[in-house]
Amino acid sequence: MNKELEHNFVELLEKHQNIVHKVCRLYTNNYDAHNDLFQEITIQLWKAYPKFRGEAKFSTWMYRVGLNTAITLYRKSKRSINTQEFDLVQFKIKADDYDNTEEEQLKLMYKALHQLNDIDKALVFLYLEDKNYKEISETMGISEVNARVKMNRIKTKLRTILNP
Amino acid sequence: MDELELLKKDWQKDNIDYPKLTREDIFPMLLKKSSSIVKVLLYISIAELILWVSISVAPMFLSEDINTKLNLDNVYNNFNLIITIIGITIVIAFVYLLYKSYKSISVTDNSKKLMENILKTRLVVKQYVGFNLVLIAISTVYEMSSLFKTNSDFTNEINGAAADGEIFKYYAVIILVVLVIILSLAVLFLVYWLMYGILLKRLNRNYKELKKLEIRSSID
Repeated sequence: MNKELEHNFVELLEKHQNIVHKVCRLYTNNYDAHNDLFQEITIQLWKAYPKFRGEAKFSTWMYRVGLNTAITLYRKSKRSINTQEFDLVQFKIKADDYDNTEEEQLKLMYKALHQLNDIDKALVFLYLEDKNYKEISETMGISEVNARVKMNRIKTKLRTILNP
Repeated sequence: MDELELLKKDWQKDNIDYPKLTREDIFPMLLKKSSSIVKVLLYISIAELILWVSISVAPMFLSEDINTKLNLDNVYNNFNLIITIIGITIVIAFVYLLYKSYKSISVTDNSKKLMENILKTRLVVKQYVGFNLVLIAISTVYEMSSLFKTNSDFTNEINGAAADGEIFKYYAVIILVVLVIILSLAVLFLVYWLMYGILLKRLNRNYKELKKLEIRSSID
């Protein structure tokens, strides 16, 4: 039974691993920290998995556990060092479809995202993942109106970072 | 906002070279130990429980010696018994509350609830430590006052000293004891403040951020 559970879980995680990678990408800025956070989220997902009833989609459930781990449970390990350009080096943006201005803009946007605080990052993450305000508010535990207001503020904040 | 829409489009393309982990990579991860703050918090709570239980139990082993010296057996033992019973009840209640509180922490709750439950668990420990400090203060005051009341040798000595004009020696000792107590409390608070401050810094900051958001939006 346990083996079967383990097998199912690993299969699902393998399939949806990009969600976890995306959380790690947003909350860490070097290779070691990325792996550490990925590891911690995996453990938290696995610990919570027996209670996963399948009412929600596995991916939706992963968002919640992943973000909660990143903003609440994860303790940055000491070996993490700040390497600012990590994002650009580690994950090459395949920007063939964009012209130079757009590519440049994207680079700046990703940089600006890293400057946001943990809560703002979580909201932006859900927004980028095309979650509606109801889902965002349920995941964060705030009201829908507050989520909307906050998101508008973040947009302004990002605009200020991009055009000082 | 155009830029954010552009970012959204790019984000959803999944065209980033994320590491591709295989099942063989994921399996060993399940066996690794979590280093989440909840786990660390639980270890610290257990350590604190053991520390404070041993502090409150210690006088029972030492008291026999002190009692015979001071002829306080009756008074002290009755008092000691009450304190011990209260102490044990509180420890049991505390262990139960800590367990319940720890169990209520679920990573599948929403972020705000999760943070609240973690901070509540921390509060249980805080209250327990506070209770112990009050208990220690009460028993110290009680023991000191009964020492003055019931030990005739000691009272005679003080009266003698007062007659010789040397009573200040006793005052000096009392002041010194009070100072030492205050100093130990200050050190204790500093240790707590640093330990939990470092451990819960990020959690507190994020929780405040969520709370702040509610207050600000309700004003808007």
